[in-house]
Amino acid sequence: MNSGTTAFVYVTVRILVALALGAAAGWFAGSVSAGISATFALYLAWNLWQLRELWYWLQHRSVADPPDAVGLWGDVVAQVVRLHRRKRFHKERLTRLFRELRRSTAAMPDGVVMLDPQDEIVWFNRKAGELLALSRRADLGLRIDNLVRQPDFVQYLRSGQYSLPVIVRVDSHAERYVAFQLISYGEDQRLLMLRDVTREVRLEQMRKDFVANASHELRSPLTVVAGYLETFGADPGLGELAAPVAEMRRQTDRMTRIIEDLLELSRFEANDAPIQGAPIDVAGMAALLRKDVLARPTHPRQVEVSIESTAGLLGDEAMVQSAFSNLVDNAAKYTPPEGSMLIRWWTDEEGGHFSVRDTGPGISSAHIPRLTERFYRVDPGRSRETGGSGLGLAIVKHALHRHGAHLEIDSSEGRGSTFTCHFPLERVIERRVAATG
Amino acid sequence: METADLSHHISRRFNEDLERVRNKVLTMGGMVEQQLANAVMALIEGDSNLGVQVARDDFKVNGMEVSIDEECQKILATRAPAAGDLRVIVSIIKTITDLERIGDEGEKIGYIASRLATMERPADKYREIKHLGRIVSEMVHQALDAFARMDAEAALRVARQDRVVDEEYESIQRQCITFMMEDPRSIRRALDVMWVVRALERVGDHAKNICEYVYYMVYGKDIRHTRLEDVERDLRDRASGV
Repeated sequence: MNSGTTAFVYVTVRILVALALGAAAGWFAGSVSAGISATFALYLAWNLWQLRELWYWLQHRSVADPPDAVGLWGDVVAQVVRLHRRKRFHKERLTRLFRELRRSTAAMPDGVVMLDPQDEIVWFNRKAGELLALSRRADLGLRIDNLVRQPDFVQYLRSGQYSLPVIVRVDSHAERYVAFQLISYGEDQRLLMLRDVTREVRLEQMRKDFVANASHELRSPLTVVAGYLETFGADPGLGELAAPVAEMRRQTDRMTRIIEDLLELSRFEANDAPIQGAPIDVAGMAALLRKDVLARPTHPRQVEVSIESTAGLLGDEAMVQSAFSNLVDNAAKYTPPEGSMLIRWWTDEEGGHFSVRDTGPGISSAHIPRLTERFYRVDPGRSRETGGSGLGLAIVKHALHRHGAHLEIDSSEGRGSTFTCHFPLERVIERRVAATG
Repeated sequence: METADLSHHISRRFNEDLERVRNKVLTMGGMVEQQLANAVMALIEGDSNLGVQVARDDFKVNGMEVSIDEECQKILATRAPAAGDLRVIVSIIKTITDLERIGDEGEKIGYIASRLATMERPADKYREIKHLGRIVSEMVHQALDAFARMDAEAALRVARQDRVVDEEYESIQRQCITFMMEDPRSIRRALDVMWVVRALERVGDHAKNICEYVYYMVYGKDIRHTRLEDVERDLRDRASGV
């Protein structure tokens, strides 16, 4: 450094001048060596003094001012001051940033808990503490499942499948629901996000209750109307009113069916818990369904049942019956008399499968994803004509969901459709010999 | 922090065994809490299906007790724990017995709930039972929290709650007697309600027991059959002695 070199040159020159002066003074006094020694001694003392000043300042630098030093010492002091100032600047900036980060996460409307690989709590924000009644002092380092003990949550934590959040009632009395979701980041670090979903859960419950209650309330007046219409319809002296009354009877029948379906759907929806259930004889059920189809006034010419497994199904018989009969009914409705239907039941290493194939008009792929929505109609005119409630496939979907099963729809326009129910392996049981075949 | 004591072992395996069994106790505790909450809800909501389900699920809690018991025996036999570790194991063995009993009381309430669901419900919709159920569930919850945190002070606070439960029990009992005298037709239902209240009161006792084991686990002092005031004084002396 240029200024550094000049400083050194200055210092060297100054020492040489001082030495020369000392030597001269010594020569006058009679001893040159004594003069040089005295100069060195003075210089050393001065240096020590400066060093002491610097040391004292570094010790008390937060309160004391930097010493007024000259020459090389002054340079050193100036550089230390600069370094110190820069360090303080960076430190302040980092602290400020950290504080702001912490404040912003604390102010987040959602709860956050940081977990280490052993599920121990590393850190959590204020909202999480509030939702789970955690205390900052005592609970760091404790395992989260020791404090949040709800079986559903513990199962979620150990399942290793975190793509979907789990909703848990955290306080059994205050009706507080929290959605938990785990997010992995870094190496083995995990974030547990919490969201208060009490409102959503309550709204959903209100919606379900409303549908169930409304359907129930509609049923009684409708029964009365349908009863009177039936009486009128039987009267031979109606004359020109006969046709309107007959139409009114058809429409009340349809309304009754819709309400029955709505009630059934809300019954399936009322509870989300998977069903334990009892063994069901699928082969027997399929045979009965076939009979029902053949009993219709118009039905496909050929209705086949193919039972390829002796296994039965574990579930709620009424629900499974409802799901299967809805599928079979649909197929029977949409298949022309010259067409054919195939009902199949088979098992493999993935589980049990029940499928209904028809040679009806088929469904274009654009409609398939929305087919299980309530009241969704591919062709509004056509399905009203056949008297459907528009709830059949929604019922199927819910009934299957409660059994851990899912519906697969394979169809294309003009080639017929295949609806397949896939049941998980634990639902399949080998039929006992006693079961009637 | 007291929990740090658990990590001072020469054998890492021992440490892990101890931690695992402790976690299992708390998992079992979570199941029991849920069973109890469901049982009370089944009664209040008149949901007979839920009541039956609670009664049927009790076997899971029983299974947990047996398996934790076995693990504790294995630790005792192979590791011969001493001092604090021994206290932890002893407390666990006792705690799971009480947890299992709480599960049994839940099962009982579940049964009665499924039976009462078919009967006409009283005008107050079992408000007292709801209230008592809340106090008792909260006690069980806090007792298990104290167990998880090894927090003897919190455990004592919970144990003190047991008096409130006893008072509540007394008052509901008196109320039931009045009902029965006023209207003999309500005797059957009132008797069933008494069974439930009695079961809840027992749950409170079990929660108190768990708190006593927590105190024992942390301080090595048995506070069963001791007046709570004496224990509190003892705790204060400890605090001032430190």
